[in-house]
Amino acid sequence: MTAVLLDGIVLGLQFGLLGVGLTVVYGLAGVLNLAYGPIAVAAAVAVSLSMQSGLSAGPAVLLGILTAAVISLLLNFTILQPVYRQEGETRVLLSLLLTIGVAFIIDGILVWRYPIEGLSLNIGGDPVSILGVPMRTGSLLASAIVILTGGALIAFFRATTTGKAVRSVIQDEVGARLCGVNPARVRALIFALSGALAGLVVVTEAMASPVTISAGFRLTILALLVTVVGGLGSIRGAFLAGLILGIVNSVSSFYIGAYITTIILLGAAALTILVRPSGLFGKHA
Amino acid sequence: MTAEDVTTASGTSALLGGGTADRRVSSRSAFAAIAITGIVLALVPIWTGDSRTLMGVAVGGLLFACYAIAFNVIFGSTGQLFLCVGALAGLGAYSSTIMSDRLGVPFPLAMLLATGFAVIVGGAFSWIAARRSLDTIFTGIVTLTFSLAFANLVLGQGGFTGGETGLVVEAGSDTFLRTQIPPYYLFLALVLVYLVGYVVIHRSHIGWAFRALRDDEVAAELTGVDVARYRIYAGAIGSGMIGFAGALWAHVEGFISPDTFSFGRVDVPVLVMLVFGGIGTLLGPVIGAGVFTYIGEVLASYSQLRLIAEGTLLIVLFLVFPQGLVRAVRSGVDRLRRRGPP
Repeated sequence: MTAVLLDGIVLGLQFGLLGVGLTVVYGLAGVLNLAYGPIAVAAAVAVSLSMQSGLSAGPAVLLGILTAAVISLLLNFTILQPVYRQEGETRVLLSLLLTIGVAFIIDGILVWRYPIEGLSLNIGGDPVSILGVPMRTGSLLASAIVILTGGALIAFFRATTTGKAVRSVIQDEVGARLCGVNPARVRALIFALSGALAGLVVVTEAMASPVTISAGFRLTILALLVTVVGGLGSIRGAFLAGLILGIVNSVSSFYIGAYITTIILLGAAALTILVRPSGLFGKHA
Repeated sequence: MTAEDVTTASGTSALLGGGTADRRVSSRSAFAAIAITGIVLALVPIWTGDSRTLMGVAVGGLLFACYAIAFNVIFGSTGQLFLCVGALAGLGAYSSTIMSDRLGVPFPLAMLLATGFAVIVGGAFSWIAARRSLDTIFTGIVTLTFSLAFANLVLGQGGFTGGETGLVVEAGSDTFLRTQIPPYYLFLALVLVYLVGYVVIHRSHIGWAFRALRDDEVAAELTGVDVARYRIYAGAIGSGMIGFAGALWAHVEGFISPDTFSFGRVDVPVLVMLVFGGIGTLLGPVIGAGVFTYIGEVLASYSQLRLIAEGTLLIVLFLVFPQGLVRAVRSGVDRLRRRGPP
């Protein structure tokens, strides 16, 4: 039981970070980025390709994260520009349709050029015993990276001026503008951050099990569920929701079985929406 | 080409057709438009009738036209984003197949029962959404979770559904449903019935309520329109239309699999077709289905580039015609007319 719970926590931390990358963009720009998963997969492919061409793991991972950040920034500066002229639900809907198109293009390029590419990072070393449970070094390293990144993110949003500017735009775009915050610049920053997070999560995932190029849709849906359960735009909520869904996922896949687990996971998400439409930590709609 | 617009379509958002002048056309011209559509589509087998593959593609196009018309009733008329078109169609197809092949129910009756299931599920979603006052995006996400849960249920219950390998549909195999050309006309008839139904609904008091709640929900509620009830009507009727089309297709095609009804294979194309043709217009869904079926067939030979091409096309279309083709053509015609005396 402890082993299953620990597995769930490891998984849940990754879910949480994945959700954060989607939720900040939604909270800030009102954009539901359905190309999020494919962007993460693009990062995985970039890491894999640069390692094959002789780069060592560290720089390759950085290059992959950078790739995802750049794609995400490009998205912000090109096809999402017309979206920002719209308001409210129209903005969400138009962004959703356009990013579906982007998701198709990224998926299409990956299927066309790198059909058999996948990323799997083997972290060597003996299992380490935690609470009497042997844990793989890869899982522990992944969790450490996720926890550090999560902590850094929370510190960034709480303590730095830039982080506060970001939160001010999430709360009230017009008010933030009146206080001298430039929403366009904050948006660029957040899109880069979102892409980088997507890349980072996929790298940590690859430490436990291989990531194939067909993972994009699953990653997008997972991020969406975490985001919704946690409350759109809430960073704390995304982490909590990630943990809950991660634990639910490993407990039920251990005791019940894979297909039913997905249904339970989806049911949990749907139930949260119905009981608390604003999510665990969401602003009231 | 001004006969398409049966609704007044002056919703608050640009995508849902805002900015169009309050324009109502007579029932007669709406029915004339449907008749012309029927005649044009009836001629398609002249070019495709020799090829079994092409007839299959054409029937698929009509199936998507049915989905898109039904989705237009739910989303276009009342703004409920149901991202479970594929799952509702799959519900119709699987339950009709299982009832007729396993339980020995005559298949026309099985199809009706399957439609009933879809009506109940769709109506329940509308009821929940209204009770919990979910907005468009949340309705979308709840129904999306249903889509994925349905797919997993089909995969997990392999004993009943055949799992990933799919299910051969026995019922209907000894009828005209498995011949080459008649199924096309059957589906064409279904498209026309759905279109007529759309006009009739929008002409009735239900249509008035739809327009009122689309334009301004609060105002509609204040003037005594029971918004929740009309949302449930739209959800139930539209879902029934989707479920019936899915069930009929199962008996025509003779084989169903989870892939046939997956989110990516049904919901995404249907949304794209409807937005491209024009949300809230009468012929928009049919035009969208026709255009995208044709494009899909052209691109089929470049299978590797197909995803990229579709994605690019999607982005370009939404940037160029965010209000849909039907409205773009109409406003172009209006602009031409306005030249001359103001």
